[in-house]
Amino acid sequence: MNSPLDHATGSRRHFLATSAMSVSSLAFAWFQQQEALAAEQAKPAIEPQVFDTAPKVPPSPPKAKAMISLWMQGGPSHHDLFDPKPEMAKYDGQVFPGELKQDNAAQASSKVFASPFKFSPSGQCGMELSELLPHTQQVADDICLIRSMKTGVNNHGQSIRALQSGRISAGRPTLGSWLTYALGSEADNLPAFVALIDPGQLPVLGVENWSNGWLPSIYQGTVVRPSEPRILDLTPPAHLKGKTQSQAIEFLQKLNAQHLEQFSDVSDLQARMASYELAAKMQMAATDALDLSQETAATKKMYGIDQKETADYGSRCLIARRLIERGVRFVQVYTANQLWDSHGSIISRLPLACQKVDKPSAALVADLKQRGLLDSTVVHWGGEMGRLPVVQNDAGRAKAGRDHNTHGFSMWVAGGGFRPGHVHGKTDEWGHKAIEGVVNHFDYHATLLHLLGLDHETMSFRRGDREQTITDGQPAQVIRELLA
Amino acid sequence: MMSRGIVAALLFVLSGTCAAQAEPHFESDVRGIFKKHCFHCHGEEEHPEGGLDLRLVRWMLTGGDSGAAIIAGQPADSLLYQRLESHEMPPDESKQISPAELAVVKQWIAAGAKTARPEPTTLGDEYLITAEERAHWSFQPIQRPAVPAVQHAEDVANPIDAFLLTKLEQHGHRFSPQATPEKLVRRLTLDLHGLSPETKLVAEFQASGGEADWSKLVDKLLASSHYGERWGRHWLDVAGYADSEGYSDIDAERPHAWRYRDYVIRAFNDNKPFDRFIAEQLAGDELITSPLNDLSPDDVELLSATGFLRMAPDGTGGAVDDVNMARNDTIADTVHIVSSSLMAMTLSCAQCHDHRYDPISHADYFRFRAIFEPALDWQKWKRPNQRLVSLNTEADRKAAAKIEAEAKLIDAAVAEKRAEFIQATFDEQLAKVPAELHELARAAHAAAAAKRTTEQKAIFQKYPHLNVTAGSLYLYNRKAADELKKMGEEAAKVRAAKPKQQYVRALTEVPGQVPTTRLFYRGDYAQPKQELQPAGLTVVRESAGLAEIPAQSSHLPTTGRRLALAEYLTDAKHPLTARAIVNRVWMHHFGVGLVTTPNDFGVLGELPTHPELLDWLAAEFIESGWDMKHLHRLILSSNAWRQQVRNNPALQELDPDNHWYGGARLRRLEAEVIRDSLLAISGELNPQQFGPPVPVMPDTVGRIVVGKENLNAGRPGAVIDMQGEDLRRSIYVQVRRSRPLSLMETFDQPTMSPNCDQRRPSTNATQSLLMLNSEQLIHRSRKIATRLIQERPDDQQQQLELAWRLIYCRPMAAAELADAQAFIQQLVESLASQPAYQPQGDKPAAKSAEEEALAVLCQVLLSSNEFLYVQ
Repeated sequence: MNSPLDHATGSRRHFLATSAMSVSSLAFAWFQQQEALAAEQAKPAIEPQVFDTAPKVPPSPPKAKAMISLWMQGGPSHHDLFDPKPEMAKYDGQVFPGELKQDNAAQASSKVFASPFKFSPSGQCGMELSELLPHTQQVADDICLIRSMKTGVNNHGQSIRALQSGRISAGRPTLGSWLTYALGSEADNLPAFVALIDPGQLPVLGVENWSNGWLPSIYQGTVVRPSEPRILDLTPPAHLKGKTQSQAIEFLQKLNAQHLEQFSDVSDLQARMASYELAAKMQMAATDALDLSQETAATKKMYGIDQKETADYGSRCLIARRLIERGVRFVQVYTANQLWDSHGSIISRLPLACQKVDKPSAALVADLKQRGLLDSTVVHWGGEMGRLPVVQNDAGRAKAGRDHNTHGFSMWVAGGGFRPGHVHGKTDEWGHKAIEGVVNHFDYHATLLHLLGLDHETMSFRRGDREQTITDGQPAQVIRELLA
Repeated sequence: MMSRGIVAALLFVLSGTCAAQAEPHFESDVRGIFKKHCFHCHGEEEHPEGGLDLRLVRWMLTGGDSGAAIIAGQPADSLLYQRLESHEMPPDESKQISPAELAVVKQWIAAGAKTARPEPTTLGDEYLITAEERAHWSFQPIQRPAVPAVQHAEDVANPIDAFLLTKLEQHGHRFSPQATPEKLVRRLTLDLHGLSPETKLVAEFQASGGEADWSKLVDKLLASSHYGERWGRHWLDVAGYADSEGYSDIDAERPHAWRYRDYVIRAFNDNKPFDRFIAEQLAGDELITSPLNDLSPDDVELLSATGFLRMAPDGTGGAVDDVNMARNDTIADTVHIVSSSLMAMTLSCAQCHDHRYDPISHADYFRFRAIFEPALDWQKWKRPNQRLVSLNTEADRKAAAKIEAEAKLIDAAVAEKRAEFIQATFDEQLAKVPAELHELARAAHAAAAAKRTTEQKAIFQKYPHLNVTAGSLYLYNRKAADELKKMGEEAAKVRAAKPKQQYVRALTEVPGQVPTTRLFYRGDYAQPKQELQPAGLTVVRESAGLAEIPAQSSHLPTTGRRLALAEYLTDAKHPLTARAIVNRVWMHHFGVGLVTTPNDFGVLGELPTHPELLDWLAAEFIESGWDMKHLHRLILSSNAWRQQVRNNPALQELDPDNHWYGGARLRRLEAEVIRDSLLAISGELNPQQFGPPVPVMPDTVGRIVVGKENLNAGRPGAVIDMQGEDLRRSIYVQVRRSRPLSLMETFDQPTMSPNCDQRRPSTNATQSLLMLNSEQLIHRSRKIATRLIQERPDDQQQQLELAWRLIYCRPMAAAELADAQAFIQQLVESLASQPAYQPQGDKPAAKSAEEEALAVLCQVLLSSNEFLYVQ
């Protein structure tokens, strides 16, 4: 984001640079000619800037101030969870009449696969949700269900990138990095962007999911591990604990202060001194934020921490709430690698996946609401794709699954100015392609940023020869229907 | 004194007025705006939208389907202006014209829509490069400017100083004083070796300290093999060096890429003339003289050099969604690496359409790509493994064949012996079976298991002990089995003596196989258009008059295109190459380049802060025979480089970015330098050079560390002893794109995607946590404490003084000694309250509080800014 000041300093630099030159060759004559032009050119400063996570005021008044993304990697089956197609029951097992792109040719079939799970209207709004999500049903009036998501690229990695970083190509900053770059953080004693990883494997693309890409690395997500110690190097080893380390930091800052006196340009040196202060504070604050023993038994129960199936995901959802309460800007809570990738045995496996996350996810929404935090916090629930309307792995009903589908799938958002109790968009009669109110990944990003008081076109970062944005010139639109 | 803001605003107004006074012309003022926003549909397409072509003013006046686009003198009535003002055009909402640009268009139409000179009658198919575009600084020939005279001649050690001082003097300033000898030695060693200096080096120089000794010290460091490890690393950044293929999540390993890394290190250490270095990397395969299947050692080195063109991510060795796209992506990344490293041009922008800012046409991009296509032929693609060249020579193959023949003899003997054993055993077992069944049993045993009749099978079922096979022999006759095993081992031992298969990751062409290069419409390989011949950039040809790149060499079996490119790029007339290289070298010595955008010398890049100095250095570099060490010596012997870090608030106010070089720049150590220096200071550094990379792995908590992966059911198993490999310099540690070493990643080591033009240091709490609490820092600090105690036993003051010398490379001040002693005393007291540091009954304390306190002190010094920054 370039302020007018950058332009002014830019031109000043050029003016001074060029006016000091003697003319001795063709190239140098050219510089003088260019003087006025250079002064006119709106170029931001290229020199190292100071990047920090101090809170920043967005250009427009924000509805949402923070975000928790519950990232369901693998592609939850919208047919079985969010997007009922009762008509399909008539064609169950028959040949699908249209064309489909199957990923796994060896296991592909063209047999229509009607959902074996029951849907029922939930809440006052009557949103149809699957019996596999009984707790989500309870918060139907608080969530905004989008049934017309689309990324259009049927591969996990690329579709993850589309949703997490705006483009299918690698190397770009993720959403959390953009938000902390643009908004900083309200917490000076915790990282601004936190990644809560699953005790199983990392999601597909691993660390890329919280990468800062080419944004300064201060905006990289900080991984909080699924078990103790939840933050690496957060706790001093025994001999340094307590007094020893305070003495050490005190002596360190004394040395740093003496060193500082020798220079006139001290911004980075001071930033590093501040980062030791943050590190020291984090040892306390993060330990406190991650300490669930401070929660009541009722709250823990609500998140399912008392049950084996939900203990892990519930703990992480609760940690997410505790971080947001303390001013952290963006938290993403991951499921294990391919948890939702239902290529086979969907009838037995999908309920297990739902069991793990349904209760904690719904509890997070309800808990934020009861604490008055939902209005200013976006909760996102979704993965990178949905599934196909036909059977994959046609080896008996027990083994049947569904292949990838990114042309039409569902996810939900809640709070932070999203329209509660609302169902947006439609897929075709087979739930294959989004046909009404299509929300592309870039539309979703534009809408999200809008609620955070940001504009997807002006939230930019200068890189090499271009101003880069998350939507990167794609025809993104703020989807008004999604707004409260 | 005026505030910075007011000065800036005033200058802005003044220069704005300058622009306003000059009459606007299409070529200088407006064309660039249209090129950026409009040409794509109104000019570059075969049939311009609405029949309107905006590339010439005459065509705007005639107009398209909707009539005249502009009416000279009347912007409000000009259709073009109306459409722009209403934001109807350009149609893409995300690509709107800015208010400032709109104002320029308005002013230009109002002033009569003038051109600078008569326009051509037609443009034909040729891409038009205007005189203004051709006049851009970086396309002008490199000329050696006269060294300017300065007021303070005594401040000038060599011409570099004169160029820099001129500007400083114009603003009433001079250089900062020279840094102290010990600071200079530290700066120099970190600069040339990427390591903290040994204490004796500091002492040696301090003792002498004169000008001649400075040159001697520079020469000494340049002669060390650590120099190539440091400066090779800089080059590997722009080359995008990686030991893995990238592209997809699999990120497969590249087991043979390291030969290129070693080649680069050797090239720097040998001071290979840089033009030769460029030629070998671009076309080493066209320089070799021995046959590909019988390479001489020199030719292996030349082939290794072409690893430069095999560094781009390449996903074609595994499963990818769209294999053609993956191939073309690899070519595009290779073109990017070549053009950004050697030409400082953002060529990639012209992959889908004419470059929006620089005079590089869409066709130019594909002409340039044509140079590489005979070796990177997307339609006759070779996967990474198919491009490996075996290093086995004719002699190796003969030796291997001879050994194989010997081994085969043993194999035959084994087979014969085994048959004998089996028969004998079978006969023994047969004796236990009724005689009338013997005939049937013999036939059954002789038959292959799958071909046995029902009757034969039945007898084996009834008497399973008859089933004597090679696999079951050991159950009957352990001795016989052991004997066979021993013979088998002998065969394996014989075979082990064969020359090892070794490979080099290289780029080669198949003679005679020359693909036709076509322009891809909108960069899409599925939409090939006109055929194009290989060439460099049109604008360079037009301004420098260089000979073009022939499609086919007259004397080589291969096309020779890349070899011709190397000659073309290193021709003294080429305006970009020497400037680009010199600028990078400058950047690594000073922290920023003379052009602060080392990848972009185009319109959007920054202008050089000292254009004459850049050209003087480029000319000097070329005339010295592209002598890299000569360039280092020049820069390092300047007074400018030897200044102390700027501590001048007045100058800081005037020149906040330190672009006048009125003092040195404080710079944070790079990731590798931190790790390597820690090892050097603790005395653990393993100086072993070259060879396959030291592996990396995730540890039990998922952090990437140096180590050999030892998975047990998918989880990390026992830690394998690295036998000192883990203590080697960072350049030898595997660069797996998906597995950046945690310590290095925390300190901003870049991911190669595809390469890195400039390191960007960050400052964050993760770094601080690592310094405060990580096992690595604590381990290294303890090792340093041990070293202090070993070298200065029983003398705390001396130990502390040595710590200062090792870590800060300077003597400790008296006040610091007192502070440090007080700190140690404090720590000892705190530690003494912990059980581990207390004697337990008769047993002495498990750990010495004094030694631990010394280690903590070392850790504090390593965490401090004085260590983490070079001054």
